[in-house]
Amino acid sequence: MSASERFIALTLAWTVAGAALAGEASPERTPVGETSPESTPAQKTSLDQAPAHKTSLESAPAQKTSPESAPAQWLERMNRALTTRNYDGTFSHWHGGQVEMLRIIHRVQDGTVSERLASLDGSGREFIRAGPSLTCYLPDKRTVLVEQRPPQESLVGFPAVNDQTASFYDIREVTHTRLNRRSTHVITVSPKDEYRYGYRLWIDDSTAMPLKTQLCDRRGHVIEQIVFASLTLPAHIPDSAFKPDVSTAGFQWLRNESGPPAPAAATLAWNAMRLPPGFRMAARSAQTLPGSADPVDHLVFTDGLASVSVFVEAQRREQADQPAVPESAAVGSSSAFSTVIDGHKITAVGEVPPDTVRFIASQLKAEEPAAVSSRRR
Amino acid sequence: MNEELDSQLSAMFDDELAPAECELLARRLSRDEQLKARWGRYAVIGAAIRSERGVLDAALAGRVSAVILAEPALAAAQGARRAPARWWQPLAGAAVAVGVAVGSVLWLRAQAPFTAAPPSAHLTATVSVPAAAVLSAAAAGAADSYVVPRAPAVRAMVPSTELANYVVAHSVFSSPVGRRNLLSAFMASESGTAAEEPPVEPEGNVR
Repeated sequence: MSASERFIALTLAWTVAGAALAGEASPERTPVGETSPESTPAQKTSLDQAPAHKTSLESAPAQKTSPESAPAQWLERMNRALTTRNYDGTFSHWHGGQVEMLRIIHRVQDGTVSERLASLDGSGREFIRAGPSLTCYLPDKRTVLVEQRPPQESLVGFPAVNDQTASFYDIREVTHTRLNRRSTHVITVSPKDEYRYGYRLWIDDSTAMPLKTQLCDRRGHVIEQIVFASLTLPAHIPDSAFKPDVSTAGFQWLRNESGPPAPAAATLAWNAMRLPPGFRMAARSAQTLPGSADPVDHLVFTDGLASVSVFVEAQRREQADQPAVPESAAVGSSSAFSTVIDGHKITAVGEVPPDTVRFIASQLKAEEPAAVSSRRR
Repeated sequence: MNEELDSQLSAMFDDELAPAECELLARRLSRDEQLKARWGRYAVIGAAIRSERGVLDAALAGRVSAVILAEPALAAAQGARRAPARWWQPLAGAAVAVGVAVGSVLWLRAQAPFTAAPPSAHLTATVSVPAAAVLSAAAAGAADSYVVPRAPAVRAMVPSTELANYVVAHSVFSSPVGRRNLLSAFMASESGTAAEEPPVEPEGNVR
């Protein structure tokens, strides 16, 4: 390596190391609950307009927790905290050797959930949820997706940890430790087979917020990690915190114009002939996706922790002549698989291993509605 | 700058510096304003000199990742950088190192045509996954040895906008932690570029 290359490399390494250190929230730099004075440049965006009345974790109202709580109860508390609390945090997301900083702002006000997730130093993408409206800004595609969901889903806490969950995961508290000056319970959720992923969670003792999350494969190897560099629980978050930074001039807006999903009433009833152990169908609906006029059947399967969505749509005429080649994709550690069955494109997406989405998608079969209803009787 | 520090910096970018020393050096760089400014100037000069070069050295990318992954459980990244260079590694490394603007990474990893098979024996007979081993390793804080799976051929399965639709629609039904992981990965990814790379011959199953 030449000297000039070393200079560049070194500077890049410094840049990343600084971000990484912030991302790993080393105690001397970025204690959780405080705003780091040494924020990386990427963090110094308008996103950093701090919400009024910022409250650090130290002064946040504690949930009713006890050291003797069962590990599964910690998971429930964590889910409740994530879905019902107001919070504003910056975190590092690691996957596949890459680290990126993101910011999440979450608010529950008058029963309406607002959420904003933004990439701080990468694609510039933003995801904003305002009650039933989900908006995804994709500056790299110069596209905005807008999807309307039923209002009743605005507080969805799905799936839920229950007794069945314990049949397919080993949930344990392995230690009680300090992370970024906070007392945390380290809970491991280990899958008992290879159809699902596991987690290691550092759950804050007083707020039940997960300060660090590792997604693990069946051998316990870390494949994805999220670590909060800063996290506050403001009592009030202004509406302005949910405005996107993205300028959408000239962007293509894609909406699902036909409104919220309706119960599935297609001429064919799609169902999975077989499912991985523990998975069951939890929801199904017919909807249109942004930018498409064609109805799509949306089936949801869950084992209580992991979930898989399967989308079924009739192949377009121009696609019908093409050979049906099943293909896989991944978004982080989440998996997608697409295949064609009986002239319909079947796409499964979920935070599960590739084999699981492949298996579920491949098991889908269309039945006449009459046959299904008679079988249910 | 003393010779020892200079030597360490050279070693760092020649992939010859121990991970622990890498971390210490990175920390020093992040704190030492004088050092930071000096190397910033060098970077400008270096960038001008090598402006014709589009991608970073793969080993450098791996080493930077190693610095980032001070977390023992993530030491696996070192294994990744020692693996034979693949088409996406330099690009991924560059993306990480720069902080990052453009690059590849919707991680649209398309596999070779797959024969939809019923649950095979190797899937259904693995209920005895070593959960205990997982837990003991976690409890002991043992370093993991995760190896990044081989990168299969890349081809856009579905248009990325369509995939975005699926991800957004699915996120509503994910667990809170799962949704955050999924959406974070999607926000962090950069669509299109990876899929536009020339297809690579499949190397086998992802696993």
